[in-house]
Amino acid sequence: MNELIKHAKELLEKGEVAAVIGYRQVSEKRTKPVIITEPEETRALVFNEYCLNNLAVYLTKARIKLLGRKNNKSFKLAITAKPCDVHSIVALIQENQIDRDKIHIISFNCHGVVKDFGFDFNGDNLSSKCITCETHKPLYYDKLLGEVKETPQARDSALERIKEIERMPHNERFEFFRSEFDKCIKCYACRAVCPLCYCQRCITDKTIPCWIETSSHQRGNFAWNVIRAFHLSGRCTGCGECDRVCPADIPLSLINRKMTIEANNLFSFVSGRSLETPTLVGSFNEKDNDELFM
Amino acid sequence: MDEKIISRVDLMKICKDVIDKGNTLLTPGAADYYVVKDISDIILDTSALPSKISHKSYVFPRTEPVLYYKRSKNDVQLIDINIDSKKIVILGAKPCDANSINIMKHLFNWDHSDEFFNKRANNFMVIGLMCSHFDEYCFCTSVRSSPVSEKGSDLFLIPVDINNYALKIITEKGKEFISPYSGYLKPGDEKNSKLITENVRQPEAAFDSSEVYEWLGENFESPKWEGVGNLCLSCAQCAFVCSVCHCFDITDEDYSYTEGRRMKNWDGCQFGNFTLHASGHNPRDIQSKRYRQRVNHKFRYYVDRFGEILCTGCGRCSRGCPVSIDIKEIVSNCNDNQKEFLK
Repeated sequence: MNELIKHAKELLEKGEVAAVIGYRQVSEKRTKPVIITEPEETRALVFNEYCLNNLAVYLTKARIKLLGRKNNKSFKLAITAKPCDVHSIVALIQENQIDRDKIHIISFNCHGVVKDFGFDFNGDNLSSKCITCETHKPLYYDKLLGEVKETPQARDSALERIKEIERMPHNERFEFFRSEFDKCIKCYACRAVCPLCYCQRCITDKTIPCWIETSSHQRGNFAWNVIRAFHLSGRCTGCGECDRVCPADIPLSLINRKMTIEANNLFSFVSGRSLETPTLVGSFNEKDNDELFM
Repeated sequence: MDEKIISRVDLMKICKDVIDKGNTLLTPGAADYYVVKDISDIILDTSALPSKISHKSYVFPRTEPVLYYKRSKNDVQLIDINIDSKKIVILGAKPCDANSINIMKHLFNWDHSDEFFNKRANNFMVIGLMCSHFDEYCFCTSVRSSPVSEKGSDLFLIPVDINNYALKIITEKGKEFISPYSGYLKPGDEKNSKLITENVRQPEAAFDSSEVYEWLGENFESPKWEGVGNLCLSCAQCAFVCSVCHCFDITDEDYSYTEGRRMKNWDGCQFGNFTLHASGHNPRDIQSKRYRQRVNHKFRYYVDRFGEILCTGCGRCSRGCPVSIDIKEIVSNCNDNQKEFLK
């Protein structure tokens, strides 16, 4: 931890970055994001199994970008990111939302995080994205910290659930999603925490014409959750934040993961894994699978 | 106040009767308050965490039609709604939840009497249950309540031993509800239940609400708001799980060119377009202003207007906040200039 604090402090003191976006401990098993602009405040920074937030979501916020503008000069922003959060940063760079040169990535050798605050860190409580994680070491970073440790073993029950849903007959599958979406209260926490939901004006906020009913009834909830699934297809990096924060416990990551699997099967593409490959939606290859066209 | 003793078995008989008569019986679960179909599902656990989402949707639904309309060439025909007026009995409400309808009542009867809310609220029968849980997010004792507060309950239960509850009859409504079941009640002694309520572990008061009130009046432009404004991601998790947040939006849904309905939907003050005017101007254009509004509304404006704090101290908003913003921490530190909101 001292290394992280030392590094962050140095960055701020030397004026290499304008702010450090990191985590601070709020209780034994909970951390929260913190945005630090003064060198002495870096002492609050931590990194552990309870750093659940995907801080990449802050990088596209206008108010955070503004922190990087001081005295008519532009400074870098430093961000502490788990290897999976780096995927989101990569996706944002690929979608031209942020500039690689303006971000200083402090990343870690990661051995997994808990599924939610308050749980003990072990195989049973491992976040589902960590079970199949293939990047315990970040793909891109400016500073790598932390020791390499073993990830606890766990069963990939989410994938089993996806297979189960795939096998359901149409009406049963519809019924499953209907009962899940019925719980939605439209607080849009899923949208708020998603680093890739960066639209200045979300389609649900457009009311003339009203494509997506704002009412939280069956049709409105279906419209919202389905449109979100579509807008994130081939773009979701699988950080699982939407799933974690949903107050109604809708298993949103099942949908996103299924769409990621589909995109990968059809186009051999997973979002946020390379700075060299163009985005799926933003590129065309004549060898692309065209089964989707009618 | 009248106090009786009722056994768990007899209490369940009353519950069964409530369901058999076609009324709705609600009880808190881990995620939500749910409608009881089978009385064996009833847990009545004083040490349970408050459910993730409050029961407010049963009195103030997250979406409901307020009228239907039909358009013709020269005319618009409005069709009124029949408000569902089923009796709802809520069993085992946490003291922090029990009072929420009373708090919201002020707003819904302020300059206009909201018949939708009132009709449902009048049909609510609240059976409160003493609470013996508290975690780092609970702060009922800081907002003029407590884990043994009877405020808002019509009947109040205190477990005296494994099989028996002390039943306090608080209101006329409660008295009326319980009178057909008087055969199940045994005479009780207030001393016994007092011994229990006095020894319940209570969260220590985290702040003085009148000090917070004063501070908010003087610090509208405090730089502290910027810190929390930077952190908050503008969702409405806090407002929608809250048991007393009551903002709503009115929107029209057309079925076709000639028919549609007008809906009343939950809205949240942290959304960017909550105060967006048709002109394009937005008085709360940045997140810090929106967060300031949330705290001011709860601890100052509502007190000014109705003399009550718009918060029951249940801690739901903080427990579920995607970025772990803790409202208790924020208002407790407001007077401390050494502490910024986000640190």
